[in-house]
This record gives sequence, structure tokens and C-alpha cells, in this order.
Amino acid sequence: MADPISDHLIENHKGGGTSVPPPAVVVRRIVKRYGALAACDGVDLTMRAGEIHGVLGQNGAGKSTLMKILIGLVTPDEGSIAINGKDARIGSPQIASDLGIGMVHQHFSLVDGLSVWENVVLGEKAHLDRSAARSRVAEIGERYGLDVDPDARVSSLTAGQRQRVEIIKCLRRDPKILIFDEPTSVLTPEESSHLFGVLRNVVKTEGRTVALVSHKLEEVLRATDDITIMRDGKVVAFMRTQETDRHALAEAMVGRNVDLRGGKTRHASENTIVASDVAAPVPVLEVIDASVHTKAAGVQLANLSLSVMAGEIVGIAGVEGNGQRVLADVLSSLTALNSGSVKVKGREIASGRPGAMSKSGIGVIPEDRHDSGCVLDMSVAENLVLADQGSFAQRGFLDRKKISTQAEELVQQFGINCSTVDAPMWTLSGGNQQRVVLARELSIGPSVLVAAQPTRGLDVGAIEYMGGRLKLAAADGVGVLLISSEIEELIELSDRILVMYRGAIVGEMKAGEIDMHRLGMLMGGAG
Amino acid sequence: MSDTPTAKRDRIELISLYVVTIILAFVIAAILVNTSGGSWSKAVEAMINGSFKNPGRWGETLRRAAPLLIVAAGSAIAAKAGIINIGQEGQVLIGATGAAFIMTKIHPGSPLMLILGVLLGMLSGAAWAGISALLYYWRRVPVVLSTLLLVYLSSQITGYTMTRKFLLLEVIEGSPTKIQNSAKTAVNSRLGIMHIFGNNVPLTVPIAIIFAIGVAYILAHSVWGFRLKMLGLNPRTAQRAGVSHVKFGTMALLTSGAAAGLAGSLMLATGESNYRASSGFSASVGWDGLLVALVARNNPYASIPVALAFACLHTGSNFLAAAGVESVLVDVIRGLLVLALFIPPAVSELRKKRRVLALMTERA
Repeated sequence: MADPISDHLIENHKGGGTSVPPPAVVVRRIVKRYGALAACDGVDLTMRAGEIHGVLGQNGAGKSTLMKILIGLVTPDEGSIAINGKDARIGSPQIASDLGIGMVHQHFSLVDGLSVWENVVLGEKAHLDRSAARSRVAEIGERYGLDVDPDARVSSLTAGQRQRVEIIKCLRRDPKILIFDEPTSVLTPEESSHLFGVLRNVVKTEGRTVALVSHKLEEVLRATDDITIMRDGKVVAFMRTQETDRHALAEAMVGRNVDLRGGKTRHASENTIVASDVAAPVPVLEVIDASVHTKAAGVQLANLSLSVMAGEIVGIAGVEGNGQRVLADVLSSLTALNSGSVKVKGREIASGRPGAMSKSGIGVIPEDRHDSGCVLDMSVAENLVLADQGSFAQRGFLDRKKISTQAEELVQQFGINCSTVDAPMWTLSGGNQQRVVLARELSIGPSVLVAAQPTRGLDVGAIEYMGGRLKLAAADGVGVLLISSEIEELIELSDRILVMYRGAIVGEMKAGEIDMHRLGMLMGGAG
Repeated sequence: MSDTPTAKRDRIELISLYVVTIILAFVIAAILVNTSGGSWSKAVEAMINGSFKNPGRWGETLRRAAPLLIVAAGSAIAAKAGIINIGQEGQVLIGATGAAFIMTKIHPGSPLMLILGVLLGMLSGAAWAGISALLYYWRRVPVVLSTLLLVYLSSQITGYTMTRKFLLLEVIEGSPTKIQNSAKTAVNSRLGIMHIFGNNVPLTVPIAIIFAIGVAYILAHSVWGFRLKMLGLNPRTAQRAGVSHVKFGTMALLTSGAAAGLAGSLMLATGESNYRASSGFSASVGWDGLLVALVARNNPYASIPVALAFACLHTGSNFLAAAGVESVLVDVIRGLLVLALFIPPAVSELRKKRRVLALMTERA
């Protein structure tokens, strides 16, 4: 670690009595475009040594792209970066590492089968000295209060302990600038506060710089000195932590200029109530006290309850990773509940039993269609009948003619762009794959449609189409559960918005009465 | 889809790759034979004589090919569901042993005993594969491991049944038994053998072809096959659509075990090792059948010619030793030819994967 840059930095701090040292990181007018989308659109960021700098924003605000630029994973299209007052071109992670920039990623990159110390030295080219490595791990652990047994198998560790290993791995390279990407997303409150203690220690006693990327208001307020707030690829505010509060942060993060188009969505509720012949309408979907917890991931759903009426679009707002994925998995028969129940039209459905939810009338557009929405190596026609193969068969054999007729019809009806219905699914673009999933799920005549992040990665036209389809489904009396991290999408489509935080519903708002303040606070867990 | 220009180009590439690797294998084999003091032209002649030219040889080759084809078709079923069963050798043996319990024990026997014997053989093969299914779904023991290790257990168990009179050991009055094998199967419970142009072609040959075609048809056209395919390609999507991993995965493994058991019991019924079961009875039919499935990329139709080719290698190589080729070399040459048949599909598979990946990242 004897490169001139880190030497320079150390000197700056040891002797830095008279002259004011340059900021550790200065980012100027950074632009990064992906096609028409600007992930970072003229971003400025200044981080000072000896401070924790919060970077706050919703999913997709451009935080991660900015951090990837600092760590050399993404090359910006425009703009400049200066590290300790010197212009830097960070063309690769190696250069970033040489500049003393290290990152602890949101998703751990540890090898389960190896021990802690083995994971820490993984990727180093120097001669492997087992005892030195172990004692170094123990030493770093002690110095920073990152208590973890160097000989433990990673597979036996909790999420919090795994993160400690990641941090040790990062600190071992002695970085002067540490970036933490959503570090608390997998931690318990106690583990989080411990982590903040560690960060404060790293910053105060050693003059390092920490960037804390987060979407949680509470923790940014608690742990940082400065806060930069991003929205839609731009920096919308810079604040000193001491001089701000939750309200100001929530407002800046969500944006006050969101067009409240609640009036437009009054579409279906009335006519479905007329159509139903029961006096008191029964919800088409009820989730009652649903809990899911596993040893590896901890509590994922905590006594979650919600209900969806026929013809209603219910939005689930919330920062990703608060149990939305698990909720969708439960409604896809992919995860069993530990307690609680799911009812469709008042009838309880066995959770976790293959196909049970689908058979009972719950259609799902999953968040990751490649994961549980389609089979890439099957044809478009086959994908269109996946959920309901039984009705396209006679005496146990597939009726190919009936399948292609149905496929041709759906392709026409949903405007799916494919060469033939026999083309493999992987030859389709993402938007068309999504249409295949949508077409199939609607073709079984569901009473409930769960749409998880249905517009993610789609272009503007496809987004509009999806929104229109969801409204149409609701107008037909389908109860729609829309899980999204796009607040504007939720506001535009939903009759009701529920806010999910740490596996539970923490608040509810009607379409006409959405209070962006409160929404932001609830999402940040500060409700 | 089959007439797109890329598909056409791929097919031409695949075929030329086959030609190149097979020629290469033959060249290397020829060099090996010549440097070890043999003559490659004589070796080729011996292979041809041994596998079909000499009297009665092509009947032998077909006799060998039939069980290979049955085993390979069974492997295709498991592979469809994404399950890699490599324990066919043991399942063949256990199948034959199971069949022997009926075919050798009940005299004078009748065609009904033949059917019951084959059924018990299939059931035994399925049960043997079922142990792996149980271990996987109950304790997460990888199927590849358990099926493989059960092969070694199977020959021990079969060997044991041949040491006890109340099990399968042949009872010969007044003579101490040294050779441990079962009694001959009852004459009436044997399967017919066709005599065609001086060749003995057992009825297993048409049975195997019908079986392979049947498996191919069921996999491609039945709802069951569709569900196995879904499970093999995307288990989570399958589960959402109502295909239980435990249920369908177990069924696929049991069926492929039953196919191996069928192969074993039919071998016994058609006179393999003189109608006697023993611990070495399976004679690598399981291993070779598995290789056939691999080379044919789990396509039962393609397995038909591949099984024939492997059978030729087997019967032909029996004649190589007589042509002055060292017996170790025979195995080396077989290995070379397996490699030659195996490399082209592996290469094209890799290419396809890379193309899909490129397309998907481009679109992501």
C-alpha cells in the first residue's frame, strides 16, 4: 500500500493542521446513459474525509450507477472525478482499488463452502499464508468491532455476520474511501445499529471516508454527516444531516411535483359491485396474518394481512426487499406460509402446494419472468399454455392444434411480436416475453391478478400498454394486486395503496387521499 | 424453425465436426495399433468381421444393441426432468436379479412367468432408482452421486443372492458350487429368438425399437412429457404451474430405473450368459446405454443408430485381440471413438448457450 496517492492522503491527515485538505471525492457533472434512459444525468457529489456521506433515493434514482462509476464498474459518458484533489479516470475496479476505493455490495459475494478467512483472502495473488491471514482477520475484526470467527464456515453465518466478513474483506485492502450499498437491507435493527457504530469508528479514528447508499430515511438521519438526495438520475438536494429532518428528506426523495392523477382511476369498482349478486361483496383475495421466516433469511413476512375486492387495483408500495418478492412467491405457490392463510373468494388455499394458487384463480406476473414466469427453451405457444396444460389435452396427450390455435389467438389479441408461435421464447424481446406472461395469466380467467414490478425494464410504450391491460382486467372484475417500487405507477393505477415495510403492511391510503409526505415516511419505516 | 438459415448452418457444422472427429479418432487409433506392433488394416478388418461380416455376428450385434437402446431411452426420461441418473448399470443388474427370482424359481414355468418376471425386473430396477429419489428428496443427496454409488452396492447384493441356496444360488446335487450364479431360467419363461439368415436375433430387438419410439412419442406429445420438460427447464415455473418437483422428479427417476430393469430382465429372458444371472451379468450394458443416451443427446430416435454403433464397437472389439491388437488397446480405441462421438454435440451445445446468453444480455 505504498502508492503515492494513499501516502498523500495519510500525510494530509496526519499533518493537516494548517492547510484545508481537498475533499476526498469530488464528482462533477457525471452523465451515464443507457439508450434513451439517463441513469445519471449531470450528477454532482462531494464527500469529505472523516465523514459519512449519505446518498438517498428511491430504487432507480441512479444511486447504484453513480457508485458503480466510482468503483470502476461503469464508465461515465461525461463528467469528471477527482480523488483527493487529483483528477482520476477510474476505468476499472483495479484502478479504483489502487486509488483506495472499496465497496461493500448489497448482495454478498461470498463462497458458502469456504471459511471466513479463506473468503477474505480469495482473489489475492500473493503467497497464501494461512496463519497470517487468520490473525489478520481476527485483528481487523477486533479493531473495528467486527466480531467473527475466522475459521467458521460462511454457510453457517447469519446475514449480519456475512456482512461483517464482506466488510473485513474490504477493509483488508485498507481503502481510504468505503462505499456501502444498502448495507442494512438484510440486517436486523440491532445489527444495523452495530454497523453504524463501526462506520463511525472507521471515519472518526482513521480519517476514512464512507458513502452510505440507502433509501431508508431513518438510518440516513442517524448515521450520516451529509446527505445527497437523488431522483430520476439527478441530484435534487444536498443537506447537512444536522440541519434537516425526516419530512424534508421524504419530500425531496419522493418529489413534490408528482402528478396526483387519482381521479382518472375511478373505473371499475362501481360496476363490479352491481354485477356481483351478493349483498356484502366478498374479497376475491384475502391474505390473513401471513408469516414466513427461514433460518437463512430471517423474518420475511410478519403477520401480513391484506384484501383485494373484485374490480379493485390495490397497489403495494415499499422499498424493495421488504418482503414484496416473498409475498408474490407465496401467491405463486413457490413459498409456503409458516402461519396465516390465503383465501380466494373466501376459500382457503393450501400455501406452497404446487399449482394450488394458480388453479384457484390467482394469476401472477412475476417480478423476474425468467425465474418463474416462462420457460425460455420452450416455444411461445407452449409458454402460452403452461399454466393450464390440462385443457389442451385429450386422454393425456397434447392437442397441438388446439394449442397453436389458442397461441395464434393470444398473439393477435395481445400484439405479441414473434416470428411464429413455435419460435423459442428466448428469441423474443423482454417486452414481448412480458406480454406472453400477461396473456397466459389472463387467459385462464383469473379472479386475482398479481403484477409484481410489471413494467420494470420495459420501454415507455410497453409500460403504457401494461397499465392499460391492468385497468382492463380490473374493469372485468379481476382483483389486481400491483406490487411496484414506482410510486407514480402506483398512484396512476391504484384504487388503494398499501405500504409494505419489513414484511408487514404499515399503512394504507385511498387513491384520492395520497399524502406524499406520509408515503415517503412509511416507506422509510418512519411512519 | 428447422429451416432458418442459422439452424441449417448449425446442422452442416455439426455434421462436418462429426466427420472430422471420427476421422481423427480413427487416425489416432491406427497410429496406436501400428506402433504397438499390430496392423491397422487388419484391425479394421477384424472390427468389421466381428461386428457384422462373419456368420452370425450381426445377430450378436443386434442382441447387444437392444438393451443399450432400452437403457438409453430410459435415461432420456430422467434427463427430460433435469435429473441425471448414471446408475443404470446397477439398475440393469438388479432388474435381472429380480427377474431371476421368478424365471428360475418357478418350474416348469409358463409365458405368464415370463411376463411376471419382466414385471418384477422392472419393479426392481425402479425400486433401486427409487432409493436415489428418496435420498434426494428426503436428505438432498445428489442423484448423480447416489445412483453411481448404488451401482457398486448392486453387484454386492446380487453377489450375495448367488451365495445362498434359498435365494438364487443354483442347487446342484452332490457337487460343491464354486461358480456363483443362478440356475438357468425355466425354458417356458424364455423369450423367443428369431433365426434370420443364420443369425439369432432375439425378440428384444423389436421390443427395444418400439420402446424407444414409444418413449420419444410420450415425451414429445403427452401432458406428462410436457410437465417433465417444464420441470427440467425451469423448476420454479413448473411448480407455479402445478408440477411438483418431488412427484414428477421421482416418477422420472423411477421410470428410468424401470427401463434399465426391463433391459436386464429381457437380457436374462433371451439367454444372456446362458440364461443365468450372476453378479457380472450386466456386462456394462448400463454404462454403454448411458453413453448412448449422452451421445444421442437424450433423443430416443437418435439413440437407435448410436446404440447400434456402440454394439458394433463391442462385438467388433471381441475380434480385435485375434488380430494381434493388445487387449488394453481395445479399450483405448473404444474410448477414442466415444470421445469422437461426444465432442461435436458438446461443442454445438456450448455454442447455442453462448448465443442465447449474448442475445439476452444484449436485450437486458
